[in-house]
Amino acid sequence: MSEKSRNERAQALRDRLNTELQRMSLDMCVKCTICETACPVAAVTPLFSGPKFVGPQAERFRDEESVDHSVDYCSSCGTCSVVCPQGVNVAELNSLARAVMKAEQGVPVRDRMITQTVLMGKAMTPVAPIANAVLDNKLARYAMEKVVGVHRDAPMPTARGESLHKWLKKRPKPTKAPTRGALVYFHGCAGGYFEVDAAKKAIEVLEHIGYEVIVPDQGCCGLAEQSNGLFEQASASVRRLVDQLRTPGTDLTIISTAGSCTGMLKHEAHQILGIHDPELLDVGTRIREISEFLMELHAAGELPTDFRPVEMRLPYHAPCQLKSQGIGTPASDLLRLIPGLEVIDSNVTCCGIAGTYGLKKEKYEIAQAVGQPLFDMVQANNDGLAACDTETCRWQIEKSSGVETVHPIVLVHRAYGLSS
Amino acid sequence: MSDVVVIGAGLAGLTAALRLARAGRSVTLATKGPGGLQLSQGTIDVLGYTPERVTRPLDAVAAVAPGHPYASIGQDAVGSAVSWLAEVLGPDLLVGDPSRNYQLPTAVGAIRPTALAQPSMIAGEAAGGRSYAVVGVRQLKDFPADLIAGNLARTTAPDGSRLAAHSAFIDLPARRGEADPTPLTYARAMDDEAFADRFARDVAAVAGKADVVALPAVLGVRRSGVWRQVAEVIGRDVCEIPLPPPSVPGLRLYDALLGMARAAGVRFIQGSRIVGFEAADGGTIASVTLAAAGGPRALRASSFVFAPGGFESGALDVDSHGAITEPVFGLPLTATDAGPLIPEVYWGPHPLFEVGVRTDDAGRPAGTDGAAVHPNLYVAGGIIAGAERWREKSGDGIAVATAVRAADHITGGAR
Repeated sequence: MSEKSRNERAQALRDRLNTELQRMSLDMCVKCTICETACPVAAVTPLFSGPKFVGPQAERFRDEESVDHSVDYCSSCGTCSVVCPQGVNVAELNSLARAVMKAEQGVPVRDRMITQTVLMGKAMTPVAPIANAVLDNKLARYAMEKVVGVHRDAPMPTARGESLHKWLKKRPKPTKAPTRGALVYFHGCAGGYFEVDAAKKAIEVLEHIGYEVIVPDQGCCGLAEQSNGLFEQASASVRRLVDQLRTPGTDLTIISTAGSCTGMLKHEAHQILGIHDPELLDVGTRIREISEFLMELHAAGELPTDFRPVEMRLPYHAPCQLKSQGIGTPASDLLRLIPGLEVIDSNVTCCGIAGTYGLKKEKYEIAQAVGQPLFDMVQANNDGLAACDTETCRWQIEKSSGVETVHPIVLVHRAYGLSS
Repeated sequence: MSDVVVIGAGLAGLTAALRLARAGRSVTLATKGPGGLQLSQGTIDVLGYTPERVTRPLDAVAAVAPGHPYASIGQDAVGSAVSWLAEVLGPDLLVGDPSRNYQLPTAVGAIRPTALAQPSMIAGEAAGGRSYAVVGVRQLKDFPADLIAGNLARTTAPDGSRLAAHSAFIDLPARRGEADPTPLTYARAMDDEAFADRFARDVAAVAGKADVVALPAVLGVRRSGVWRQVAEVIGRDVCEIPLPPPSVPGLRLYDALLGMARAAGVRFIQGSRIVGFEAADGGTIASVTLAAAGGPRALRASSFVFAPGGFESGALDVDSHGAITEPVFGLPLTATDAGPLIPEVYWGPHPLFEVGVRTDDAGRPAGTDGAAVHPNLYVAGGIIAGAERWREKSGDGIAVATAVRAADHITGGAR
């Protein structure tokens, strides 16, 4: 970490907020209130006064100091920017304003800790049973809440004992020769350490339909650091990841099963962190959500659809950071191609967790209230399984609804007969 | 690849998408924002002023000037399109008849003509010397009960009778510690039966004598029939008066229409603009370009319905030199220079707002010769030229009628 003083750091961020071109989008706000009606946080608590108030309105008064501290209650779900008919970068500017505020006040140790996703994965994987037992232990979680500020009931990932890369080294080489060329696979921190099963299945699906899958060594995209206002660390993380994803070649499509991280690479790092490197732009334009990619193949008539029936009702939740990519809900379209599978869209804005937001003891209740309609919907419409494209959202849905929640690719894997 | 891509999720886009999907077409609905319904009154205006106040809108539709969007559609088709929408949404959301206007009080105490209204509003019909108890909530600034009652009390209703009104306030926070709640905060609170009951009891205690108790339109957003519960507790008719945005009645219509469209299989892409297109031979549109995060994506279809709104949504653009353009398809417009169309006087006609896309009888953008510019591109709603919608109160009817026209032309009239 750099040795810049708190004031210098705050000033640098404030300069960005004051001078970047996207600031002009504030003047496009016509105060129509559409973002306020869509904001999932303002709907459940008056502690957040809403994206319009905190953004286009309060920003005009934030010259030399932060005047509206409720911006800290924004969960960074990005819904306000998605729905804004006038193209105001509400979420992006509010994220920047929050980073300024946090730089002024100092970032709590808790917020620094919970952003260290790779470190967590690396530390927990070798001692998975112990790590999982600790995270399941009520006393340990109580202590964690008191000392660190992570709510005792917040969802925690389950360590797997074997990382994806370890599995890749051990597994027998694919027997089928690739017929369609190579793809780069981006699994994200969760796919590498916690959601290893979904990552394996994504690789197997891509290989099944004829691709060679290259999995470069890869770190964290920095999204968690970004949403906690740690912009310097986030920038370093995402730049490192961009380099890693470019190593296999700069003309290959990059396939992702990490929904939020894809959004980070496509637009957030550019708009929120202010990174304008051509390398980021290159990765951002070559990366596809796996369902988005498979639906592009389908539109071109190139996706095998010899799916076996999967007879079940499946509640599907499209997460915020997928929706903010502005590509619709391709997983929902993809799952509908599987015979027998009755896909029920949640049509709920947000599950509440928003990365690390719902872990924090002062925000846990808010996050639960945000997700309640989703938990109810999942409970009322499942045959033992739910689907969602992003990791922390799956943990949140699973923890709060009690229904096992998987990446959509798990169902596609099953429909191709690769698992039962 | 869908059969049809519909652009825009306002009343026109949603109506077109729903009608197409129910006719068995695969539809992708692409929109930046959620359209204008939640900025509207949540009623369906067909024609309110010509400029005289209209009581029989379909008769007035039959008499519009040539060049008005209704002129090429005709009274019967406008009536059946609006009736179809009412039927689809059902009597819990919309009641009325396009041949007759309600005359309903507004949030400034004026009397507004509209054809279809929500059932919670119609007891407010300004007729027969009706008396109103207008009850506001101290914490809800957008419902100025004193102003509403004051204006109603000095108004002669369209039927010639004198109205009577008085005001009262209750003190009931929807959420503790909130300084400036929106109407939606109250509507969400009313979705809870206990809060609605408490609200109704407080209103009953202060309302005083009147034929009808006029309340802010915050009587529930998800739970339907809250107004009936409130009326029962008060023991008198109630009427909801729509507030400035966010409009709860508008949200009810938006949620219902989008929900039905999605249930009918419509693919919904929100948050990205359509910024261009690719044409094939003969000017046929092959795809439109979605400006998604991470780069452009082509949305292919056999037909396209363009329902992006007008100047207010940026679908029609005026630059600093007064040049008027339609930036996505570069469609020919009825005027291209705003300069001479902006009058000195505010309180008069604004011909700029009549500028838009001219269409052929099928609803396709047409040049000055009347021929379609692209054989598979249709327009619906506020982008169509010929009406100053906000003055004559015709925007909803035009949206619905032109959306149905486009959908039916695409499906060959199949339902």
